[in-house]
Amino acid sequence: MVRDLAAATRAELGKVVTLRAVWLISGAVVGLHVLLGLQNLDAETEAVREITADGMIERFPGIVRPAREALVEYLAASSFQMCLFLPCVAAVVAGQEFRAGQLGTSLLAVPRRGLLAGAKVLAVGGFLLFVSIVIAAISTAFVYLSIKDWNPGLPVSAEAWTAQVKFLAYAVLSGLTTFAITMIARSTLIGILVTVALTVLTMSQILAVFTPALDALVPLSAGRNLILVPDESLRLSAGPGHAMVVLVTWPLLATAVAATALCRRDAR
Amino acid sequence: MIEVARLTKRYGRKLAVDDVGFTVRPGRVTGFLGPNGAGKSTTLRLLLGLDHPDGGTALIGGRRYRDLRHPLRTVGALLDGAGPVPERRGVDHLAWIAQSNRIPRRRVREVLDLVGLTGAAGQRVKGYSLGMGQRLGIAAALLGDPEVLVLDEPVNGLDPDGIRWVRDLLREYAASGRTVLLSSHLMAETAGTADDAIVIAGGRIVAHGSLDDISAGHESLESAFFALTGDRRGLGGRGGRGGRGEW
Ligand SMILES: Nc1ncnc2c1ncn2[C@@H]1O[C@H](COP(=O)(O)OP(=O)(O)OP(=O)(O)O)[C@@H](O)[C@H]1O
Ligand SMILES: [Mg+2]
Repeated sequence: MVRDLAAATRAELGKVVTLRAVWLISGAVVGLHVLLGLQNLDAETEAVREITADGMIERFPGIVRPAREALVEYLAASSFQMCLFLPCVAAVVAGQEFRAGQLGTSLLAVPRRGLLAGAKVLAVGGFLLFVSIVIAAISTAFVYLSIKDWNPGLPVSAEAWTAQVKFLAYAVLSGLTTFAITMIARSTLIGILVTVALTVLTMSQILAVFTPALDALVPLSAGRNLILVPDESLRLSAGPGHAMVVLVTWPLLATAVAATALCRRDAR
Repeated sequence: MIEVARLTKRYGRKLAVDDVGFTVRPGRVTGFLGPNGAGKSTTLRLLLGLDHPDGGTALIGGRRYRDLRHPLRTVGALLDGAGPVPERRGVDHLAWIAQSNRIPRRRVREVLDLVGLTGAAGQRVKGYSLGMGQRLGIAAALLGDPEVLVLDEPVNGLDPDGIRWVRDLLREYAASGRTVLLSSHLMAETAGTADDAIVIAGGRIVAHGSLDDISAGHESLESAFFALTGDRRGLGGRGGRGGRGEW
Protein backbone atom coordinates (compact mmCIF):
# COMPACT_ATOMS: atom_id res chain seq x y z
CA MET A 1 0.00 0.00 0.00
CA VAL A 2 2.75 2.45 0.97
CA ARG A 3 4.70 1.38 -2.11
CA ASP A 4 1.66 1.92 -4.29
CA LEU A 5 1.20 5.37 -2.80
CA ALA A 6 4.86 6.16 -3.39
CA ALA A 7 4.62 5.02 -7.01
CA ALA A 8 1.41 6.96 -7.63
CA THR A 9 2.90 10.05 -5.98
CA ARG A 10 6.02 9.85 -8.14
CA ALA A 11 3.80 9.60 -11.20
CA GLU A 12 1.79 12.63 -10.10
CA LEU A 13 4.98 14.56 -9.45
CA GLY A 14 6.13 13.56 -12.93
CA LYS A 15 2.94 15.09 -14.34
CA VAL A 16 3.60 18.31 -12.42
CA VAL A 17 7.20 18.83 -13.44
CA THR A 18 6.75 17.93 -17.12
CA LEU A 19 4.13 20.62 -17.63
CA ARG A 20 5.66 23.79 -19.01
CA ALA A 21 2.91 26.05 -17.65
CA VAL A 22 3.82 25.00 -14.11
CA TRP A 23 7.40 26.20 -14.55
CA LEU A 24 6.34 29.37 -16.37
CA ILE A 25 3.99 30.41 -13.57
CA SER A 26 6.39 29.38 -10.80
CA GLY A 27 9.18 31.24 -12.57
CA ALA A 28 7.01 34.33 -12.95
CA VAL A 29 6.10 34.30 -9.25
CA VAL A 30 9.72 33.89 -8.19
CA GLY A 31 10.81 36.57 -10.68
CA LEU A 32 8.21 39.01 -9.36
CA HIS A 33 9.37 38.31 -5.83
CA VAL A 34 12.98 39.12 -6.73
CA LEU A 35 11.87 42.29 -8.49
CA LEU A 36 9.87 43.52 -5.48
CA GLY A 37 12.76 42.62 -3.17
CA LEU A 38 15.16 44.66 -5.30
CA GLN A 39 12.75 47.55 -5.43
CA ASN A 40 12.39 47.69 -1.63
CA LEU A 41 16.02 46.99 -0.82
CA ASP A 42 17.19 50.61 -0.55
CA ALA A 43 14.22 51.77 1.50
CA GLU A 44 14.52 48.84 3.91
CA THR A 45 18.28 49.32 4.27
CA GLU A 46 17.68 53.00 4.95
CA ALA A 47 15.05 52.21 7.59
CA VAL A 48 17.40 49.74 9.29
CA ARG A 49 20.21 52.34 9.31
CA GLU A 50 17.92 54.69 11.20
CA ILE A 51 16.88 52.24 13.90
CA THR A 52 16.89 54.21 17.16
CA ALA A 53 19.05 53.46 20.18
CA ASP A 54 16.07 51.88 21.93
CA GLY A 55 15.59 49.53 18.94
CA MET A 56 12.60 51.15 17.20
CA ILE A 57 12.17 51.19 13.40
CA GLU A 58 9.98 53.30 11.13
CA ARG A 59 9.43 51.11 8.04
CA PHE A 60 6.34 53.03 7.02
CA PRO A 61 5.98 56.77 7.63
CA GLY A 62 4.52 57.40 11.07
CA ILE A 63 4.49 53.73 12.17
CA VAL A 64 7.23 53.19 14.74
CA ARG A 65 7.65 49.61 15.99
CA PRO A 66 10.22 47.44 17.74
CA ALA A 67 12.78 46.73 14.98
CA ARG A 68 13.27 43.06 15.66
CA GLU A 69 9.57 42.25 15.58
CA ALA A 70 8.96 44.39 12.49
CA LEU A 71 11.84 42.89 10.51
CA VAL A 72 10.93 39.31 11.34
CA GLU A 73 7.41 40.10 10.23
CA TYR A 74 8.77 41.63 7.02
CA LEU A 75 10.73 38.45 6.38
CA ALA A 76 7.53 36.37 6.29
CA ALA A 77 5.21 39.06 4.94
CA SER A 78 7.26 39.66 1.81
CA SER A 79 7.00 35.92 1.04
CA PHE A 80 3.33 35.97 2.02
CA GLN A 81 2.51 38.50 -0.73
CA MET A 82 3.50 35.90 -3.31
CA CYS A 83 0.72 33.63 -2.05
CA LEU A 84 -1.64 35.81 -4.04
CA PHE A 85 -0.23 34.12 -7.16
CA LEU A 86 1.09 30.80 -5.99
CA PRO A 87 -2.33 29.06 -5.99
CA CYS A 88 -2.38 29.48 -9.79
CA VAL A 89 0.24 26.73 -9.93
CA ALA A 90 -2.06 24.44 -7.96
CA ALA A 91 -4.99 25.30 -10.23
CA VAL A 92 -3.00 24.52 -13.38
CA VAL A 93 -1.80 21.22 -11.95
CA ALA A 94 -5.30 20.18 -10.92
CA GLY A 95 -6.89 21.43 -14.13
CA GLN A 96 -4.62 19.46 -16.46
CA GLU A 97 -6.65 16.34 -15.68
CA PHE A 98 -9.66 17.84 -17.39
CA ARG A 99 -7.84 18.74 -20.57
CA ALA A 100 -7.91 16.20 -23.39
CA GLY A 101 -9.43 13.71 -20.95
CA GLN A 102 -6.20 12.97 -19.10
CA LEU A 103 -8.27 12.00 -16.06
CA GLY A 104 -9.32 8.88 -17.99
CA THR A 105 -5.70 7.82 -18.36
CA SER A 106 -4.98 8.67 -14.72
CA LEU A 107 -7.83 6.46 -13.55
CA LEU A 108 -6.81 3.64 -15.88
CA ALA A 109 -3.38 3.78 -14.24
CA VAL A 110 -4.62 4.24 -10.67
CA PRO A 111 -8.27 3.15 -10.49
CA ARG A 112 -8.41 3.34 -6.69
CA ARG A 113 -9.77 6.86 -6.33
CA GLY A 114 -8.63 7.34 -2.75
CA LEU A 115 -5.09 6.37 -3.66
CA LEU A 116 -5.08 8.72 -6.64
CA ALA A 117 -6.42 11.61 -4.54
CA GLY A 118 -3.81 10.97 -1.83
CA ALA A 119 -1.00 10.81 -4.37
CA LYS A 120 -2.15 14.06 -5.95
CA VAL A 121 -2.24 15.90 -2.63
CA LEU A 122 1.26 14.69 -1.73
CA ALA A 123 2.69 15.58 -5.13
CA VAL A 124 1.19 19.04 -5.44
CA GLY A 125 1.86 19.75 -1.75
CA GLY A 126 5.48 18.76 -2.26
CA PHE A 127 5.86 20.95 -5.32
CA LEU A 128 4.22 23.94 -3.59
CA LEU A 129 6.58 23.43 -0.65
CA PHE A 130 9.55 23.47 -3.02
CA VAL A 131 8.52 26.76 -4.67
CA SER A 132 7.68 28.25 -1.26
CA ILE A 133 11.13 27.37 0.06
CA VAL A 134 12.69 29.15 -2.92
CA ILE A 135 10.54 32.20 -2.15
CA ALA A 136 11.45 32.08 1.54
CA ALA A 137 15.14 31.81 0.68
CA ILE A 138 14.91 34.90 -1.54
CA SER A 139 13.14 36.85 1.23
CA THR A 140 15.86 35.79 3.64
CA ALA A 141 18.57 36.97 1.28
CA PHE A 142 16.99 40.41 0.89
CA VAL A 143 16.35 40.84 4.61
CA TYR A 144 19.92 39.81 5.28
CA LEU A 145 21.23 42.41 2.81
CA SER A 146 19.23 45.12 4.60
CA ILE A 147 20.19 44.21 8.15
CA LYS A 148 23.68 42.75 7.86
CA ASP A 149 25.27 45.80 9.51
CA TRP A 150 22.74 45.89 12.33
CA ASN A 151 21.99 42.28 13.33
CA PRO A 152 23.23 39.70 10.80
CA GLY A 153 22.06 36.82 12.99
CA LEU A 154 18.39 37.82 12.84
CA PRO A 155 17.42 35.66 9.80
CA VAL A 156 18.53 32.49 11.61
CA SER A 157 17.00 33.38 14.97
CA ALA A 158 14.22 31.26 16.43
CA GLU A 159 11.61 33.95 15.74
CA ALA A 160 12.68 34.11 12.12
CA TRP A 161 12.37 30.35 11.69
CA THR A 162 8.92 30.41 13.25
CA ALA A 163 7.84 33.14 10.84
CA GLN A 164 9.23 31.19 7.89
CA VAL A 165 7.42 28.01 8.93
CA LYS A 166 4.17 29.95 9.26
CA PHE A 167 4.61 31.23 5.72
CA LEU A 168 5.42 27.77 4.36
CA ALA A 169 2.38 26.31 6.11
CA TYR A 170 0.14 28.99 4.67
CA ALA A 171 1.61 28.70 1.17
CA VAL A 172 1.11 24.92 1.02
CA LEU A 173 -2.30 24.82 2.72
CA SER A 174 -3.80 27.65 0.66
CA GLY A 175 -2.41 26.06 -2.51
CA LEU A 176 -3.97 22.72 -1.60
CA THR A 177 -7.30 24.47 -1.06
CA THR A 178 -7.20 25.89 -4.58
CA PHE A 179 -6.08 22.50 -5.86
CA ALA A 180 -9.09 20.76 -4.34
CA ILE A 181 -11.52 23.46 -5.48
CA THR A 182 -10.20 23.07 -9.03
CA MET A 183 -10.64 19.30 -8.87
CA ILE A 184 -14.24 19.82 -7.74
CA ALA A 185 -14.93 22.42 -10.43
CA ARG A 186 -13.02 20.39 -13.07
CA SER A 187 -11.62 23.60 -14.51
CA THR A 188 -8.44 25.63 -13.94
CA LEU A 189 -10.27 28.85 -14.69
CA ILE A 190 -13.03 28.26 -12.13
CA GLY A 191 -10.43 27.18 -9.56
CA ILE A 192 -8.60 30.47 -10.06
CA LEU A 193 -11.81 32.54 -10.07
CA VAL A 194 -13.01 31.04 -6.78
CA THR A 195 -9.59 31.70 -5.26
CA VAL A 196 -9.68 35.29 -6.50
CA ALA A 197 -13.18 35.72 -5.04
CA LEU A 198 -11.95 34.49 -1.64
CA THR A 199 -8.97 36.84 -1.90
CA VAL A 200 -11.23 39.79 -2.65
CA LEU A 201 -13.28 38.98 0.47
CA THR A 202 -10.16 39.55 2.55
CA MET A 203 -8.56 42.40 0.64
CA SER A 204 -11.73 44.49 0.41
CA GLN A 205 -12.08 44.30 4.21
CA ILE A 206 -15.86 43.95 3.77
CA LEU A 207 -16.12 41.07 6.22
CA ALA A 208 -13.41 42.42 8.51
CA VAL A 209 -15.38 45.59 9.10
CA PHE A 210 -18.84 44.11 9.58
CA THR A 211 -18.31 40.56 10.82
CA PRO A 212 -14.73 39.87 11.91
CA ALA A 213 -15.73 36.37 13.01
CA LEU A 214 -16.65 35.49 9.42
CA ASP A 215 -13.58 37.24 8.05
CA ALA A 216 -11.39 35.01 10.20
CA LEU A 217 -12.75 31.97 8.32
CA VAL A 218 -11.51 33.11 4.90
CA PRO A 219 -8.16 31.51 3.95
CA LEU A 220 -6.25 34.70 3.11
CA SER A 221 -7.54 36.37 6.29
CA ALA A 222 -6.38 33.36 8.26
CA GLY A 223 -2.98 33.65 6.60
CA ARG A 224 -2.80 37.30 7.57
CA ASN A 225 -3.89 36.45 11.12
CA LEU A 226 -1.19 33.80 11.26
CA ILE A 227 1.72 35.76 9.84
CA LEU A 228 1.24 39.46 10.62
CA VAL A 229 1.71 40.98 14.05
CA PRO A 230 -1.18 43.15 15.27
CA ASP A 231 -0.57 46.72 16.44
CA GLU A 232 -2.56 49.93 16.59
CA SER A 233 -2.47 50.31 12.80
CA LEU A 234 -3.46 46.70 12.08
CA ARG A 235 -6.36 44.88 13.73
CA LEU A 236 -6.55 41.15 13.05
CA SER A 237 -9.79 39.20 13.09
CA ALA A 238 -8.42 36.25 15.10
CA GLY A 239 -5.28 34.87 16.75
CA PRO A 240 -2.69 32.59 15.14
CA GLY A 241 -4.10 29.41 16.73
CA HIS A 242 -7.53 30.05 15.26
CA ALA A 243 -5.89 30.91 11.93
CA MET A 244 -4.03 27.61 11.83
CA VAL A 245 -7.24 25.65 12.49
CA VAL A 246 -8.96 27.52 9.65
CA LEU A 247 -6.02 26.91 7.32
CA VAL A 248 -6.00 23.18 7.97
CA THR A 249 -9.77 22.85 7.77
CA TRP A 250 -10.12 24.39 4.31
CA PRO A 251 -7.90 21.94 2.38
CA LEU A 252 -9.14 19.04 4.48
CA LEU A 253 -12.80 19.70 3.72
CA ALA A 254 -12.20 20.67 0.10
CA THR A 255 -10.05 17.59 -0.51
CA ALA A 256 -12.67 15.35 1.08
CA VAL A 257 -15.30 16.77 -1.27
CA ALA A 258 -12.94 16.47 -4.27
CA ALA A 259 -12.12 12.85 -3.42
CA THR A 260 -15.80 12.01 -3.01
CA ALA A 261 -16.57 13.65 -6.35
CA LEU A 262 -13.75 11.66 -7.95
CA CYS A 263 -15.31 8.45 -6.60
CA ARG A 264 -18.86 9.26 -7.59
CA ARG A 265 -18.53 10.95 -10.96
CA ASP A 266 -17.80 9.48 -14.35
CA ALA A 267 -14.22 10.25 -15.38
CA ARG A 268 -14.76 13.17 -17.72
CA MET B 1 -11.25 -13.43 -20.13
CA ILE B 2 -13.73 -10.57 -20.07
CA GLU B 3 -17.22 -11.14 -18.73
CA VAL B 4 -19.88 -8.49 -19.04
CA ALA B 5 -23.39 -9.08 -17.71
CA ARG B 6 -26.55 -6.98 -17.78
CA LEU B 7 -24.60 -3.76 -18.14
CA THR B 8 -26.74 -0.64 -18.34
CA LYS B 9 -25.86 3.03 -18.59
CA ARG B 10 -28.14 6.03 -18.92
CA TYR B 11 -27.27 9.59 -19.81
CA GLY B 12 -30.21 11.54 -18.55
CA ARG B 13 -33.19 9.78 -20.09
CA LYS B 14 -31.19 8.22 -22.88
CA LEU B 15 -30.20 4.57 -22.57
CA ALA B 16 -26.69 4.48 -24.04
CA VAL B 17 -26.04 0.88 -23.01
CA ASP B 18 -29.03 -1.36 -22.49
CA ASP B 19 -28.68 -4.71 -20.71
CA VAL B 20 -25.44 -5.62 -22.47
CA GLY B 21 -23.82 -8.98 -21.84
CA PHE B 22 -21.00 -10.89 -23.54
CA THR B 23 -17.81 -12.79 -22.89
CA VAL B 24 -14.49 -12.35 -24.61
CA ARG B 25 -12.23 -15.39 -24.68
CA PRO B 26 -8.44 -15.44 -24.53
CA GLY B 27 -6.45 -16.58 -27.53
CA ARG B 28 -8.76 -14.79 -29.95
CA VAL B 29 -9.24 -11.33 -31.35
CA THR B 30 -12.77 -10.13 -30.71
CA GLY B 31 -14.19 -7.24 -32.69
CA PHE B 32 -16.74 -4.98 -31.00
CA LEU B 33 -18.76 -3.60 -33.88
CA GLY B 34 -21.47 -1.04 -34.19
CA PRO B 35 -22.37 2.19 -35.96
CA ASN B 36 -21.61 5.62 -34.52
CA GLY B 37 -23.38 6.17 -31.24
CA ALA B 38 -24.15 2.48 -30.76
CA GLY B 39 -22.59 2.41 -27.30
CA LYS B 40 -19.18 0.86 -27.97
CA SER B 41 -17.08 3.47 -26.20
CA THR B 42 -19.54 3.68 -23.32
CA THR B 43 -19.41 -0.09 -22.82
CA LEU B 44 -15.60 -0.06 -22.83
CA ARG B 45 -15.50 2.83 -20.34
CA LEU B 46 -17.82 0.89 -18.04
CA LEU B 47 -15.64 -2.20 -18.41
CA LEU B 48 -12.58 -0.17 -17.40
CA GLY B 49 -14.27 1.46 -14.42
CA LEU B 50 -14.14 4.99 -15.81
CA ASP B 51 -17.89 5.46 -15.81
CA HIS B 52 -20.37 4.09 -13.30
CA PRO B 53 -22.96 1.67 -14.64
CA ASP B 54 -26.59 2.04 -13.65
CA GLY B 55 -26.68 -1.73 -13.42
CA GLY B 56 -24.78 -4.88 -14.25
CA THR B 57 -21.21 -6.06 -13.87
CA ALA B 58 -18.04 -6.13 -15.92
CA LEU B 59 -15.17 -8.40 -14.91
CA ILE B 60 -11.69 -8.93 -16.26
CA GLY B 61 -10.15 -12.20 -15.17
CA GLY B 62 -12.91 -12.45 -12.60
CA ARG B 63 -12.23 -9.06 -11.00
CA ARG B 64 -13.51 -5.55 -11.42
CA TYR B 65 -10.97 -3.30 -13.13
CA ARG B 66 -10.81 -0.97 -10.17
CA ASP B 67 -9.83 -3.84 -7.88
CA LEU B 68 -6.69 -4.62 -9.86
CA ARG B 69 -3.52 -3.61 -8.00
CA HIS B 70 -1.25 -2.70 -10.92
CA PRO B 71 -3.98 -2.64 -13.57
CA LEU B 72 -1.72 -1.71 -16.48
CA ARG B 73 0.26 -4.90 -16.02
CA THR B 74 -2.96 -6.87 -16.58
CA VAL B 75 -5.00 -4.70 -18.93
CA GLY B 76 -3.79 -2.34 -21.62
CA ALA B 77 -6.38 0.09 -22.91
CA LEU B 78 -6.73 2.69 -25.60
CA LEU B 79 -9.74 4.97 -25.23
CA ASP B 80 -11.16 7.88 -27.10
CA GLY B 81 -10.89 11.14 -25.23
CA ALA B 82 -8.51 9.87 -22.55
CA GLY B 83 -5.49 11.37 -24.19
CA PRO B 84 -2.33 13.10 -23.14
CA VAL B 85 -2.21 16.80 -22.32
CA PRO B 86 -1.11 18.45 -25.60
CA GLU B 87 1.77 20.41 -24.03
CA ARG B 88 3.46 17.32 -22.65
CA ARG B 89 6.19 15.47 -24.52
CA GLY B 90 5.27 11.98 -25.66
CA VAL B 91 8.01 10.35 -23.63
CA ASP B 92 6.94 12.20 -20.46
CA HIS B 93 3.37 11.02 -20.93
CA LEU B 94 4.51 7.41 -21.05
CA ALA B 95 6.98 7.93 -18.20
CA TRP B 96 4.39 8.95 -15.63
CA ILE B 97 2.06 6.15 -16.68
CA ALA B 98 4.90 3.64 -16.26
CA GLN B 99 5.84 5.05 -12.86
CA SER B 100 2.30 4.78 -11.55
CA ASN B 101 2.32 1.02 -12.10
CA ARG B 102 5.96 0.44 -11.20
CA ILE B 103 6.84 -0.48 -14.77
CA PRO B 104 10.59 -0.11 -15.42
CA ARG B 105 11.65 3.02 -17.26
CA ARG B 106 13.37 1.09 -20.05
CA ARG B 107 9.98 -0.24 -21.09
CA VAL B 108 9.05 3.31 -22.19
CA ARG B 109 11.85 3.24 -24.77
CA GLU B 110 10.81 -0.25 -25.84
CA VAL B 111 7.21 0.64 -26.56
CA LEU B 112 8.20 3.88 -28.28
CA ASP B 113 10.40 1.79 -30.53
CA LEU B 114 7.65 -0.76 -31.02
CA VAL B 115 5.14 1.84 -32.25
CA GLY B 116 7.74 3.73 -34.28
CA LEU B 117 7.72 6.94 -32.24
CA THR B 118 11.30 6.93 -31.02
CA GLY B 119 12.15 9.90 -33.22
CA ALA B 120 9.17 11.94 -32.00
CA ALA B 121 9.41 10.96 -28.33
CA GLY B 122 10.84 14.32 -27.28
CA GLN B 123 8.23 16.30 -29.20
CA ARG B 124 5.18 17.86 -27.56
CA VAL B 125 2.04 15.84 -28.23
CA LYS B 126 0.25 18.84 -29.76
CA GLY B 127 2.70 18.60 -32.63
CA TYR B 128 1.71 15.00 -33.35
CA SER B 129 -0.40 13.97 -36.33
CA LEU B 130 -3.62 12.01 -35.75
CA GLY B 131 -1.83 8.75 -36.45
CA MET B 132 1.11 9.60 -34.21
CA GLY B 133 -1.28 10.36 -31.37
CA GLN B 134 -2.92 7.00 -31.95
CA ARG B 135 0.47 5.27 -31.89
CA LEU B 136 1.27 6.98 -28.59
CA GLY B 137 -2.02 5.68 -27.18
CA ILE B 138 -1.19 2.16 -28.33
CA ALA B 139 2.27 2.51 -26.79
CA ALA B 140 0.63 3.41 -23.47
CA ALA B 141 -1.62 0.35 -23.75
CA LEU B 142 1.37 -1.93 -24.34
CA LEU B 143 3.52 -0.48 -21.50
CA GLY B 144 2.65 -3.12 -18.93
CA ASP B 145 2.91 -6.03 -21.39
CA PRO B 146 -0.67 -6.85 -20.40
CA GLU B 147 -2.61 -10.09 -20.61
CA VAL B 148 -5.69 -8.28 -21.92
CA LEU B 149 -5.92 -5.54 -24.54
CA VAL B 150 -8.99 -3.31 -24.83
CA LEU B 151 -8.73 -0.90 -27.74
CA ASP B 152 -11.34 1.62 -28.84
CA GLU B 153 -10.96 2.21 -32.59
CA PRO B 154 -7.21 1.56 -32.62
CA VAL B 155 -6.75 2.07 -36.36
CA ASN B 156 -8.47 5.45 -36.39
CA GLY B 157 -6.14 7.82 -38.21
CA LEU B 158 -3.51 5.23 -39.06
CA ASP B 159 -2.05 4.92 -42.55
CA PRO B 160 -2.28 1.55 -44.40
CA ASP B 161 1.10 0.59 -43.06
CA GLY B 162 -0.02 1.41 -39.51
CA ILE B 163 -3.24 -0.53 -39.96
CA ARG B 164 -1.32 -3.61 -41.07
CA TRP B 165 1.05 -3.21 -38.17
CA VAL B 166 -1.83 -3.07 -35.66
CA ARG B 167 -3.46 -6.08 -37.29
CA ASP B 168 -0.28 -8.14 -37.06
CA LEU B 169 0.33 -7.02 -33.50
CA LEU B 170 -3.17 -8.01 -32.37
CA ARG B 171 -3.03 -11.35 -34.18
CA GLU B 172 0.29 -12.11 -32.52
CA TYR B 173 -1.06 -11.05 -29.18
CA ALA B 174 -4.02 -13.38 -29.43
CA ALA B 175 -1.88 -16.19 -30.80
CA SER B 176 0.15 -16.11 -27.62
CA GLY B 177 -3.00 -16.88 -25.65
CA ARG B 178 -3.92 -13.37 -24.61
CA THR B 179 -7.25 -11.59 -24.81
CA VAL B 180 -7.90 -8.85 -27.37
CA LEU B 181 -11.07 -6.77 -27.63
CA LEU B 182 -11.16 -4.01 -30.21
CA SER B 183 -14.01 -1.78 -31.23
CA SER B 184 -14.51 -0.59 -34.75
CA HIS B 185 -17.05 0.64 -37.23
CA LEU B 186 -14.88 -0.48 -40.13
CA MET B 187 -16.12 -3.88 -41.24
CA ALA B 188 -13.50 -4.71 -43.84
CA GLU B 189 -10.72 -3.88 -41.43
CA THR B 190 -12.22 -5.97 -38.66
CA ALA B 191 -12.89 -8.91 -40.97
CA GLY B 192 -9.16 -9.16 -41.57
CA THR B 193 -8.23 -9.03 -37.91
CA ALA B 194 -10.89 -10.56 -35.71
CA ASP B 195 -11.90 -14.15 -35.02
CA ASP B 196 -15.06 -13.29 -33.14
CA ALA B 197 -17.40 -10.36 -33.20
CA ILE B 198 -19.91 -8.71 -30.91
CA VAL B 199 -22.32 -6.43 -32.73
CA ILE B 200 -24.02 -3.61 -30.84
CA ALA B 201 -26.69 -1.24 -32.13
CA GLY B 202 -28.75 1.27 -30.21
CA GLY B 203 -27.10 0.17 -26.97
CA ARG B 204 -28.13 -3.49 -27.34
CA ILE B 205 -26.14 -6.53 -28.41
CA VAL B 206 -27.61 -7.79 -31.69
CA ALA B 207 -25.13 -10.55 -32.51
CA HIS B 208 -22.27 -12.36 -30.83
CA GLY B 209 -20.21 -15.22 -32.21
CA SER B 210 -17.45 -16.15 -34.62
CA LEU B 211 -17.14 -14.04 -37.75
CA ASP B 212 -18.19 -17.00 -39.84
CA ASP B 213 -21.37 -17.52 -37.81
CA ILE B 214 -22.26 -13.86 -38.02
CA SER B 215 -21.73 -13.52 -41.74
CA ALA B 216 -23.42 -16.83 -42.54
CA GLY B 217 -26.29 -16.28 -44.97
CA HIS B 218 -24.98 -12.84 -46.00
CA GLU B 219 -22.73 -11.80 -48.85
CA SER B 220 -20.09 -10.44 -46.51
CA LEU B 221 -19.51 -9.33 -42.95
CA GLU B 222 -20.41 -5.85 -44.11
CA SER B 223 -23.84 -6.81 -45.39
CA ALA B 224 -24.42 -8.90 -42.26
CA PHE B 225 -23.53 -5.81 -40.26
CA PHE B 226 -25.99 -3.62 -42.13
CA ALA B 227 -28.68 -6.22 -41.75
CA LEU B 228 -28.06 -6.60 -38.02
CA THR B 229 -27.82 -2.92 -37.22
CA GLY B 230 -30.76 -1.90 -39.35
CA ASP B 231 -29.05 0.34 -41.86
CA ARG B 232 -31.09 3.07 -43.51
CA ARG B 233 -30.28 1.77 -46.96
CA GLY B 234 -32.60 -1.07 -46.10
CA LEU B 235 -30.13 -3.94 -46.37
CA GLY B 236 -32.22 -6.12 -44.12
CA GLY B 237 -33.83 -3.30 -42.16
CA ARG B 238 -34.07 -4.93 -38.77
CA GLY B 239 -35.51 -2.31 -36.43
CA GLY B 240 -33.11 -1.53 -33.62
CA ARG B 241 -34.35 0.07 -30.42
CA GLY B 242 -33.16 3.41 -29.06
CA GLY B 243 -30.23 5.25 -30.67
CA ARG B 244 -31.29 4.61 -34.28
CA GLY B 245 -32.05 8.21 -34.95
CA GLU B 246 -28.52 9.28 -34.15
CA TRP B 247 -26.53 7.81 -36.99
N1 LIG C 1 -21.07 11.96 -21.76
C1 LIG C 1 -22.20 11.71 -22.42
N2 LIG C 1 -23.31 12.42 -22.15
C2 LIG C 1 -24.45 12.18 -22.79
N3 LIG C 1 -24.61 11.24 -23.73
C3 LIG C 1 -23.55 10.50 -24.05
C4 LIG C 1 -22.29 10.70 -23.43
N4 LIG C 1 -21.41 9.81 -23.94
C5 LIG C 1 -22.10 9.11 -24.86
N5 LIG C 1 -23.38 9.51 -24.93
C6 LIG C 1 -24.41 8.95 -25.79
O1 LIG C 1 -24.40 7.55 -25.64
C7 LIG C 1 -24.56 6.90 -26.90
C8 LIG C 1 -23.43 5.93 -27.12
O2 LIG C 1 -22.23 6.66 -27.32
P1 LIG C 1 -20.84 5.95 -27.55
O3 LIG C 1 -19.81 7.01 -27.51
O4 LIG C 1 -20.70 4.84 -26.61
O5 LIG C 1 -20.97 5.40 -29.02
P2 LIG C 1 -19.90 4.64 -29.93
O6 LIG C 1 -20.50 3.35 -30.30
O7 LIG C 1 -18.61 4.64 -29.28
O8 LIG C 1 -19.87 5.57 -31.22
P3 LIG C 1 -18.64 5.99 -32.19
O9 LIG C 1 -18.52 4.93 -33.22
O10 LIG C 1 -19.12 7.26 -32.80
O11 LIG C 1 -17.44 6.16 -31.35
C9 LIG C 1 -24.63 8.00 -27.93
O12 LIG C 1 -25.97 8.19 -28.27
C10 LIG C 1 -24.12 9.21 -27.25
O13 LIG C 1 -24.79 10.35 -27.69
MG1 LIG D 1 -16.73 5.51 -29.69
